Amino acid sequence: MERVLVFLAVCGLLQTHSAAAQSESQDRHAIETSIELSYIDVSGYPSWTEGSVGKLRYDNQNDGLVMSRAFIDYQALVTDTLDAHVSLELYDDDLGAVADFTEAYLEWRPVPRSANRYRVKLGAFYPRISLENTGPGWGSPYSLSSSTINTWVAEELRTFGAELSITRRPQMLGGAHQFGVQAAVFYANDPAGSLLAWKGWSAHDRQTRFGDKLPLPPLPQIQPGMMFAAQDPFVAPFREIDNRAGYYVNGEWRLGNRVMVRAMHYDNRADPTILEDGQYAWTTKFDHFGAQLSLPADFGLIAQWMVGSTVMGPVINGARAVDVEYESKYLLLTKSLDKHRLSLRYDNFDVTQNDEIPEDSNPENGHVWTVAYMFDHSKYVSFAAEWLSIKTHHCGWEYYGLDPTNTETQLQLSVRLKFSH
Amino acid sequence: MEYLDHFFVGLQSRILLSLVLLSAAFTAGAADIEVTVLDREGQPVPNVAVYVQSANGGSLPAPTTNAVMDQIDTRFVPHLLVVQSGTNVDFSNSDIIAHHVYSFSKPNNFMLPLYKGDLQPQVAFRHEGVVTLGCNIHDHMLAYILVVDSQAYGKTSFDGKINLTTDNPNGLTVSIWSPRFKHGRENLTQTINAGKSAAVTFALTEKLRPPHSTDSDALTWNEY
Repeated sequence: MERVLVFLAVCGLLQTHSAAAQSESQDRHAIETSIELSYIDVSGYPSWTEGSVGKLRYDNQNDGLVMSRAFIDYQALVTDTLDAHVSLELYDDDLGAVADFTEAYLEWRPVPRSANRYRVKLGAFYPRISLENTGPGWGSPYSLSSSTINTWVAEELRTFGAELSITRRPQMLGGAHQFGVQAAVFYANDPAGSLLAWKGWSAHDRQTRFGDKLPLPPLPQIQPGMMFAAQDPFVAPFREIDNRAGYYVNGEWRLGNRVMVRAMHYDNRADPTILEDGQYAWTTKFDHFGAQLSLPADFGLIAQWMVGSTVMGPVINGARAVDVEYESKYLLLTKSLDKHRLSLRYDNFDVTQNDEIPEDSNPENGHVWTVAYMFDHSKYVSFAAEWLSIKTHHCGWEYYGLDPTNTETQLQLSVRLKFSH
Repeated sequence: MEYLDHFFVGLQSRILLSLVLLSAAFTAGAADIEVTVLDREGQPVPNVAVYVQSANGGSLPAPTTNAVMDQIDTRFVPHLLVVQSGTNVDFSNSDIIAHHVYSFSKPNNFMLPLYKGDLQPQVAFRHEGVVTLGCNIHDHMLAYILVVDSQAYGKTSFDGKINLTTDNPNGLTVSIWSPRFKHGRENLTQTINAGKSAAVTFALTEKLRPPHSTDSDALTWNEY
């Protein structure tokens, strides 16, 4: 409750400040704040956020009312073509400070002199992957919990670096097709992959802030005397460990607001043999494909597919000490009707293992069904109801005396208050 | 010869032009021209720019009124504006947020600094041609201004028709343009002989691009 009061105080303060700032400098500042209260009803294993193996953010200890999230999205126009963006996320849990940043970057958008649009981002921001999280505070208009792919993006990925985007918009010359390429170079994301290998895929709405420490399950191999005893019992994903830059390259094709297709190759180029301050560097690579399609009668379809690998540690018997491959894909069907929206999503995920280190069994497979109803009541209030069921088979759960096959379900009813200037 | 030139231009554009002269009286004075634009299925095409020019028109009187390009709900309104060359266009902003309007269409290229509220910056468009408008903040905002050396211009209505009147009925050409035409920068022109009134039909043979619409809001789209 104390934290709740802190939320309200911070939000109130920023609102006041923003109102004052606005009157002083016209439209150079934009601020969006939001507080979301939820009723939760969960059945499943204790949550990974408590250092256990549950796939969800909540477990039955949270049943009832929770402050599910609050955020402050701030945008300032430094010049007509240079924006500063800052996103502050507030959580009522023990994984970090009450308030911390999820993104902070500058974006330069020079006025186009041709059908080519150039943009440069500099700072810390999400890689161009999610097709769901298009709203303020990286929220989704479709559901409360993200797909497994975007849940992992929120957990472990952030681009601390620069992204150059070039989009050819023949539309500006009378054409219809658009082509874009984004290339980024980044640091400080070396531990990314730890959670995917050691915890597996999840489905929830929590975004890791810059200073958060995400608990690992009580893996046998990170216990004292074991091979990875030097690993902290948590992952701090935004660390530079080997001083090597990673990169991604994304290509997109788009036809108006009807079709969009994107494909990315991502490689953090981390040196998998280096450990620093209790965090290993993991070489994490993947390919990502995304598509969205407008259908008649206000239906829409979104699909994403990610396939990749992550490795860590010395080579033992021909493979790195931890060597896993992972894959996840989902299909989301959504229908909007005025201020109402109904969405149905099916996720299918797996992790396979190439190494043979005893007592480090990471393979899993499973699927998720999500049904969400969103009601954008007014400028100030929105409501949501979401039911989610995730069925998983995870080999390593036997270490903890748990059934390796389990279905977890979550009902979340939420009300969100929004303020914007 | 001029007629033949236009005839071949028409052929190159693969546009079937059918022209019906209802009257061909050789009297001076105003001519009324009804223009109809049909797609290749014979259905009327609304919002096509149409303008009439006279071969021996000489220099036209300067335009005396301003035109307005507004910005409402992060869209330019109208999507296509036709003005006489030399016209001042007021770029209103009915949104509560700021816009950063530009065009790279030479020689009418311009850029307005970020603005909002009651400010109504003006741009004079002196050169004939298509001016593509964008907003540097909102990449999905797109509109066109067609600048014409003509005082008889407009856009087809829902029935694909428009009636234009010109005071100089000698050696008239009728031209149409729409961003929906595949060769978006080509004008489609037909020459007609002098007459008090004429009806011109442009029957298009190329498939049109879909209209710029308020697309379904089933999905949200990342910026470009």
